[in-house]
Amino acid sequence: MELRSRTVNTVTVLDLSGRFDAHTASNVAAALEKVASAAPAKVVINLGDVNFMDSTALATLVQGMKRCRQAGGDLCLCRLQPQVRIIFELTRLDKAFDIYPSEAEALT
Amino acid sequence: MQDFVLAALKPRLTIFAEAWLAAGATGYGIWEDGRLLAQWPVGPSEPYDGRSAVTMPIHTNSATSLELCVTGTRDTAAQGRLKGEAALIADLIHLEGELDEMTTRLIETQDQLLALYDLTHAARSHLSMQDALNSLAWESSRLLRTDSAFAIVRMPDGAPIIAQQPVPYLSNAQAGALFHRVQAGQQDLLTSLSLENTDDAVASAQASLFIMPILVRSQVMAALGLLNKTGKPFTSPDMKLARAIAEQGGAQIENALLLQETLAQARVQTEMELAQRVQLRLLPQRLPRVPGLELAARSRPALQVGGDFYDFIGGAGRPLTFAVGDVSGKGMGAALVMSMMHTALHGISRLASLTPAAIAEQANEQLYDDFTEVGAFATMFVGQYDSAARLLNYANAGHSPVIYCPEGGAARLLGADGTPIGVLPISLCRDQCLQFRPGDLLIAATDGFSEAQNITGEMFGYERLLQLTESLVALSAPEVLNALFAAVETFSAGHPQDDDQTVVVLKGVSA
Repeated sequence: MELRSRTVNTVTVLDLSGRFDAHTASNVAAALEKVASAAPAKVVINLGDVNFMDSTALATLVQGMKRCRQAGGDLCLCRLQPQVRIIFELTRLDKAFDIYPSEAEALT
Repeated sequence: MQDFVLAALKPRLTIFAEAWLAAGATGYGIWEDGRLLAQWPVGPSEPYDGRSAVTMPIHTNSATSLELCVTGTRDTAAQGRLKGEAALIADLIHLEGELDEMTTRLIETQDQLLALYDLTHAARSHLSMQDALNSLAWESSRLLRTDSAFAIVRMPDGAPIIAQQPVPYLSNAQAGALFHRVQAGQQDLLTSLSLENTDDAVASAQASLFIMPILVRSQVMAALGLLNKTGKPFTSPDMKLARAIAEQGGAQIENALLLQETLAQARVQTEMELAQRVQLRLLPQRLPRVPGLELAARSRPALQVGGDFYDFIGGAGRPLTFAVGDVSGKGMGAALVMSMMHTALHGISRLASLTPAAIAEQANEQLYDDFTEVGAFATMFVGQYDSAARLLNYANAGHSPVIYCPEGGAARLLGADGTPIGVLPISLCRDQCLQFRPGDLLIAATDGFSEAQNITGEMFGYERLLQLTESLVALSAPEVLNALFAAVETFSAGHPQDDDQTVVVLKGVSA
């Protein structure tokens, strides 16, 4: 899985692509920890090119979200593909995260 | 002349001397640089009588001058005879020299064989790659009598391991660069180098190096290098022996790699066995008896174990309460979190008779901080059966698939309304209920079923599960259980089981 990081104003945007699972989660975890440990601890995760997520990946996002909120910031998601969207709906994690259809909307 | 050479010549010289004495000569001797080495007849040495002596030089490669001398002979052919003897003696001396050289080399070779044996023997007791390399470098330097030797391996994960013995003369960068050169060139390298860090007075000297690539699993993954800090060259026999040692080193490196991989595998194996044992111990050992219900339950762990759980909580006199859930992640970590969940649920059920949503709320309260600490969450479905009213109360914290199929009706998913345990500090679950009459079927499973894959990578999916449930609604709970596992097994034949498969089956029966 590929991970790209960029900054828009003070918000970190992480672009992920490919399979987001137990094998690839640690890179994302490290990136999120980095964001959460520096102000303003705001991150938007672009899942537009992610075709699969397992429970380890979900746990990584949950952990990142908690850390960001703890630091006074937040983590939100955008551009979920249908098959990933379903996972969030089934587990009701769509109630835990702010999910947006586009990056622009996520950044506002 | 060396003593052993003289000792070898004496028997032959004695034969010549006796022949001369028998023919009337008064003396026979061998001289070196004007000094008498031996004479016949043996006795106090006669002073050198130049007048009646016939002498003949012995031509050898040595720096000293050797000559044979006969005194008191009247043989006119004495010169010629003595010349022949001198030539024979010269040959003998030459042969003795060669023999001595060969003997020395033979002893050296024996030494080296013993040394190689030592090398192999020493290598057997090493567990780590670093130790194996240290031993190889040490023995190489010792056997080849070089100032130092270095061994380098590039591990499968790309990390290089370097050993220099007895003293490191090269920086890691220098050693790495030399390794790259032999790796690229795929052949031995003779070169020289200025040493960066040496506190000798010879800091300005160029060190001579001989580096050999080592094949490990048919690829150049390692190298053995020899270093002489004063630039002393490497002889051909040295390089031959070095290559033999390098090849031996390759075998040792392969062994060390194999050992590491076996150990890693054993560790993973042990971890998985532990995790599986934890899980099995914590699962219910017996099914409760409930009027109006038939129960069946089973959990089949995957090779890569996860954190599925199911439990029956609430004691006698209380409505049957059960929970089915799935902890995020895999392996030992997930199994440990599952045990935390187990403890929390049993503790909660002991306090009071709580509704499913209250149970989920309590569980979230108790576990939120710990789950945050370890970065985990757990989906959970809690069901509670009211025998009198034939009602199934339930709460669903992020869990699926839970399928309800009324007799003669369509199967539907009981969706989650709350987030999984440990995700938010507050629980969003609310109590829901449905009528559960004789003939109705409830299947509370984990996603090891819906996500089971076949050889083409297609997932079993929810559609199939719903259809399957409808087709099984007439069967008893144990029959449904077996049919579920059988269907998924058939579907995923040829594809390994990725996730735990757990299911609790409730079938309504007339009391």
